Amino acid sequence: MEAVNGLLTGFGVILTPSNLYLCFLGSLIGTLVGVLPGVGPLAALALLLPVTFTLSPVGGLVMLSSIFYGAMYGGSTTSILLNIPGEAASVVTCFDGHQMARQGRAGPALGIAAIGSFIAGTLGVIIMTFFAPAIAAVAIRFGPPENFALMVLGLVCTLFMISGSTIKGVLMMALGCLTAAVGLDVVNGRERYTFGSVDLSGGIELLAVVIGLFGIAEILSNVETMAKTTLLADRIRGLWPTLADWRASWRPILRGSGLGFLLGLVPGGGPVTAAFMSYALEKRIAAQPERFGKGAIEGVAGPESANNSAVAGSLIPVLSLGIPSNPVTALLLGALIIQGIQPGPLFIAQRPDLFWGIVASMYIGNVFLLLLNLPLVGLWVQFLRIPYRVMFPVVLLLCVVGTYSANKNVFDLWVMLGFGVGGYVLRKLEYDLAPFVIAFVLAPLLEQSLRQSLVMSPDGAMILIKRPVAAVLLAASAVLTYLMFRRRTKNEGGLS
Amino acid sequence: MFERTLNVFWIVFGAASAVYAWSLGMVGPAGPESGLFPFIASVIVSGAGIILLLRPSSAAPDFPRGGGLWRVLGVIAGLVVMAAGMPYLGFSVTSFITMIILLRAVDQSSWLTAVSLAFISTASVFWLFGQMLGMALPRGPWGW
Repeated sequence: MEAVNGLLTGFGVILTPSNLYLCFLGSLIGTLVGVLPGVGPLAALALLLPVTFTLSPVGGLVMLSSIFYGAMYGGSTTSILLNIPGEAASVVTCFDGHQMARQGRAGPALGIAAIGSFIAGTLGVIIMTFFAPAIAAVAIRFGPPENFALMVLGLVCTLFMISGSTIKGVLMMALGCLTAAVGLDVVNGRERYTFGSVDLSGGIELLAVVIGLFGIAEILSNVETMAKTTLLADRIRGLWPTLADWRASWRPILRGSGLGFLLGLVPGGGPVTAAFMSYALEKRIAAQPERFGKGAIEGVAGPESANNSAVAGSLIPVLSLGIPSNPVTALLLGALIIQGIQPGPLFIAQRPDLFWGIVASMYIGNVFLLLLNLPLVGLWVQFLRIPYRVMFPVVLLLCVVGTYSANKNVFDLWVMLGFGVGGYVLRKLEYDLAPFVIAFVLAPLLEQSLRQSLVMSPDGAMILIKRPVAAVLLAASAVLTYLMFRRRTKNEGGLS
Repeated sequence: MFERTLNVFWIVFGAASAVYAWSLGMVGPAGPESGLFPFIASVIVSGAGIILLLRPSSAAPDFPRGGGLWRVLGVIAGLVVMAAGMPYLGFSVTSFITMIILLRAVDQSSWLTAVSLAFISTASVFWLFGQMLGMALPRGPWGW
């Protein structure tokens, strides 16, 4: 009942012309970002973050979150028509979606991707409506030791879910914490790692880091190859799937929705992992797995549903616990902190307008996105005709404006360039950059919780073991760490 | 070879950072000091670097060569021009020059295409962010 009342409050907040406009604008930008290869939701969010400073917190957050889930819708269009994922979570849609397009079934592929996304997105928000307040109600009793242990668990989960080397992930995480330490110590105001530089005393700007690592590094990777592609836009006929398509798709949509939501909840999970896991699941349980990769509609319906549902799932830990589960939600957390709002267990109680406004906007945003992605698919196809060689200089210009506008400081452009080149090189060496960003955002809160815990304890670090919840969370982290290294040893054994 | 050099860099960087963090203080009468948290992070960086160095090196990274390398260097050069020129020439002129560099070096567009696209894109971004959204973009000595 409390959730229903909250949701009504949320609709009261969102159903104003300006907030509806921002929700629509975010959905539109999100779809465009998803459609255009080489511009991910993270880079787009980072670019538009400074714009939201001039908006109300509700309006800004509604716009940013609608860009996030909008990109999940738009990403499938490029995967299906061009065989290039519009964003990372749509990689798997290429496997069967593009094959369907080659067989003249681009319409049903785009249709099932949009409808599946709508169903999964809406189901995800419904679960979120009831689930997030329950989690927050438990977490409200947490003190600094529990918060510290929870963040440690979040970081360990992130490491557990990354695809590459665990050690490289650990290194990136520690590096993220170190980078966040640059500037003034939040507890006593002492300068750290500034070496007398005025520019560094304010700390390293989040936007410069994110735009560098995910915007500039992406551009550098893309201009390196400049692959030529074939657009299968002429083969879009009849977007509505046939009865046979529906029969094959409804179960994958529901399974994808559930799986995506659960994986979204887990730090390190999120839309990308959800899409891959859903594809693997559908292939494993299929009566004819050999159809996958040759145009099976289940290979589009499942992953596209999973990545949308994962968005709702991934917003729960960030809004109810203050723990981001992926770089995009880390940026959303950063956006809230910049607005002077601290997400966490008290967030729902202290800012019900904001929390329920975001939840309500997701119901409306999903409807906007269905309308934008089905009847207007022809419009998005026109954007795909723009060659990347013409598009990337404009994206680069937007990266510069987005970075500069945060502090009106040219120093941030050098930081962006440094992180861009660094991110490009590290990607080449198979370093996962997600742990860096998550640690960079979480580090100030993690340090503060650790120091508060140690100050309030007469037994030093023992407080982390003496408090039952903190002890359980740390034990879970230890178990996950053990499993992580055992898996690595097994893999290495298998390889040898 | 490159990866091994990077691993050595992590070890040295982590060690230097740990020494600096130690100098900030670990634990004082009022509890943990400013150096404790970065010290732990630095030790992890160094430790991970040592483990990576001791492990057999993976396949050589696929760094670009030929045209790909020139395009990557062209983008980096464009950004260097942008960051270095903006405080003196303002946003519009620096962006215009950068766009021409990018379109000529990376896309190998003709001069006419490069100049036209550079003008249109710079003017559009300036209009959208500088005028419509009211962002204070850096201005050159000529006032724009």
